[in-house]
Amino acid sequence: MKVEHYNAIVRAGLTRRRLLQSAAAAGGVAAMGGLPGAAAAQDADEAALRAQILQIPGVGMGSPTDADWRKVGELTLGSTKATVEEGEFAGVELSFMGLNNQNLHNFLFRGFLAPWEEYTGAKINWIDLAQADFNARLQQSIATGTVDFDMLEMGAPFEGDTAGRGLLDEMPDWVAEILDLDDLVGYLKPPVGTWDGKTYRVSIDGDCHTLSYRKDYFTDPTISAATGYSEVPDTYEAMDDWTVKMKGQTDPLTGLPAYGFLDPLKYQWGGFGFYFLADRVAPYAKVPGNAAWLFEPDTMKPMVNNPAWVQAIDDVFNLIKADAYPPDQINADANSTAFAQFLAGTGGALMWWGDVGAMARTSDTSVVGDVTGFGINPGATKLYDWTKAEWVEPEGGKNEAPYMAYLGWGIYVTSRVSGDEKKRKAAWSAAAHLGGKDLALWMSAYPSGFQPYRNSQFDYDEWAAAGYDRDYIADYLGSNLDSYNHPNAAVEPRIPGIFQYFSIFEDEMAKGVAGQYASAQETADAIAAAWEEITDQIGRESQIALYKASLGL
Amino acid sequence: MSTEGDLLHVITSDVISPQRRMVGRILVWGAAALVAVVVLLQLLQISGRIDIGFTNWRPALYAYCVWVAAFLAGQVIIRGEMGKRRLFVLPAVLFVASLTLFPLLFGLVIAFSDWNLASPDGRRFNGTANLVKMWNDPFYWNALGNMVRYSLAIVVEYAVAFGLALLLAANIRARKFFRVAFLMPLMLSPVAVSWMVGKSILEPRFGPIGRLIRDLGFPSPAFFTDPVIARLMIMMMDAWTYIPFMMIMLLAGLQAIPREVQEAAHVDGASGWRGFWEVTFPLMLPVSVTAILIRLIFKLKLADIVITVTSGGPGGATDTVTSFIYREYRDRSNVGYGTMLAMVYLVLIVIVMTVMMKVSERWTRPQT
Repeated sequence: MKVEHYNAIVRAGLTRRRLLQSAAAAGGVAAMGGLPGAAAAQDADEAALRAQILQIPGVGMGSPTDADWRKVGELTLGSTKATVEEGEFAGVELSFMGLNNQNLHNFLFRGFLAPWEEYTGAKINWIDLAQADFNARLQQSIATGTVDFDMLEMGAPFEGDTAGRGLLDEMPDWVAEILDLDDLVGYLKPPVGTWDGKTYRVSIDGDCHTLSYRKDYFTDPTISAATGYSEVPDTYEAMDDWTVKMKGQTDPLTGLPAYGFLDPLKYQWGGFGFYFLADRVAPYAKVPGNAAWLFEPDTMKPMVNNPAWVQAIDDVFNLIKADAYPPDQINADANSTAFAQFLAGTGGALMWWGDVGAMARTSDTSVVGDVTGFGINPGATKLYDWTKAEWVEPEGGKNEAPYMAYLGWGIYVTSRVSGDEKKRKAAWSAAAHLGGKDLALWMSAYPSGFQPYRNSQFDYDEWAAAGYDRDYIADYLGSNLDSYNHPNAAVEPRIPGIFQYFSIFEDEMAKGVAGQYASAQETADAIAAAWEEITDQIGRESQIALYKASLGL
Repeated sequence: MSTEGDLLHVITSDVISPQRRMVGRILVWGAAALVAVVVLLQLLQISGRIDIGFTNWRPALYAYCVWVAAFLAGQVIIRGEMGKRRLFVLPAVLFVASLTLFPLLFGLVIAFSDWNLASPDGRRFNGTANLVKMWNDPFYWNALGNMVRYSLAIVVEYAVAFGLALLLAANIRARKFFRVAFLMPLMLSPVAVSWMVGKSILEPRFGPIGRLIRDLGFPSPAFFTDPVIARLMIMMMDAWTYIPFMMIMLLAGLQAIPREVQEAAHVDGASGWRGFWEVTFPLMLPVSVTAILIRLIFKLKLADIVITVTSGGPGGATDTVTSFIYREYRDRSNVGYGTMLAMVYLVLIVIVMTVMMKVSERWTRPQT
């Protein structure tokens, strides 16, 4: 769970009564251990364990400390003890490169792995990085042949840079068994985490964009009458129509002018700004049953200037022409749209990660706590089928394609350990410990920097038993779950240099938004030309092969 | 011991035998040969012709260190006392040279390479392709054009700084307080200024200036939507940070002017304006030129405010060369092209600064 989510939930008001309820529930679950049958007993033991770790330190008892992380790490050592002899890795030293965001990530891993180190005898040396330094450090290590880490915390988009170049070690079967990979949410199943049919990733996080919107804009009689919308639009065509009609309305909370859908028109955001146009593009461009929607897999020809992309870009340009955005929106990046605008009462809807949903409730700067609703990425009433090069009517009249922006963090083992079986087993054992099912539940319930990524983490009763407000959790997590498991989820390609494509996209899109290109088509053509150049520079043939591999083709 | 030569500075004047000189030369040239051999082996290793386990350039670095030690020892062996005198400066010279020449050479090698960190092929020499690309890159020329505009703003900054310096040099109330107060923007990080001013005070909806403008009857204040206004805002934020720097230099110059000169002009009947224009200003020229040149160097490095506030937008209107290189290098891992852009910019800066110094030298030369 992200820190801000936890703080938000805690501030939302966990009472002692709730805490006692959760303890009682834990006791009840533990009592189930008396059921006959080994499997039932095992299930009960696991349920008791999950209930037990959810009480460390206890929801509403303050942020967990290193001591708590160690306790949780100790209690979840079961799979390690079942697969590794005590002291088996004595003398083994592993190097682990990860992040230090918000004093979480590696800091948590240290605590979780401390009991593992004590039990196995291995020692882990830590390389802590700020997130902003991660890409540069990783790319430089790869390019200069100085990979100095045995384990790596990494986002799936970088799998092309690493697995695609043979820098990762394949996951052994015994680790796959421990991790129960079937429990992963839909989009994190292969091909994500795999390359050429081999599995490399131990997922520890999930990421996707969901829709946050102002419910009161659809119930307020004045606004509803003016716009004609009493339900949140479920397609971008309707969303844009509603956005134009919102012009001139007054926000009932702030008394300031109200606006509709927020696009971060300052797209330049280190490559991440790409995601926010991709949200719009996906329902126009993502053909069900076909994973490719950025490049044509056989040629790496960019699709970014095909009619679907041009339509999405044109939609944004039309809203600019209609003066439907707040003033100075051209200087609003994604961070601003979420935290300076939407949460502060500007804008009626936007696409973002789960942070908005959690912070809307109780953040000190949020004024939209009680009026925010959630949903999946809006769809489109027409779909451009690039294989036929024509617009088609989607099945059911609407095409949906939630965008899995960034895919979440995972733990990877590098091929540095491949030649040393003892070290390799140690690295995978540590990774399996961090990716364990029970630890996952704890990480999503307490500040960890990670969002849920397993289906088992969406058992709302378990959360309620731990002391959380059930309605809140269902509301907060439901849109994520629907997006994660959507059959037409648009999954990010994991090719080398993917953020280079995103970065130049931002530069060219910024020029288009500023009116330096004559049309959406011209903007898209400029992006396509820049993408072609990047592909040629990196190597077209290798990119084609890696793109196909990333799509599982 | 010799009784001839520079007896004042040389304590002992060694008589060095030819054999000793020979040993010294063998030592120096032998170490140089070692470096050459190790570098050659390294190159053969890289090209895949041999495999002797040289996985990185450390052996070459160690060989270079051995050569440095041999070279220093060789000075003493070959030149005796004179060699010892050289040892006082040679280590520092070699250290500085090593830290400037080698990186510069490596930088040039990278600048003439096609090196995208994501490319599986690694670095490839591509001749002048990066220069050609730069020549045809509208983003780079746009950024250079912006740098000219930003640099011209120094004239206005100088006028403001001079005015403030004159104010603070005069006998005004709370002079010490104002000196500290006017200096405070310089103490702030440009990133802090970006957030305080660009992201907060100029926030169009909730920022105080946005509210004020709305109260004045303008419904939609926007500071970074129009290219010209956006550029002006960046100039103002940068000026606010660095005008105190120019001001403090000019203030020091003003305080160094003898009061008698001003008094003599006054006695001769010069008005306040003529006293300033014909006495103070000419006397301040050397300080003014120095302040402007240093400010120009700061200006040419402008990036932090742009990156934080606008990321170069809208549509590149506020982009600087440095912020563009930052995106090219960091976000797009385009190391070869990014290095070439930086090298060309360095050369441009050196040329501009050289010209400026020559011109200013002529301006500030006493007229006879």
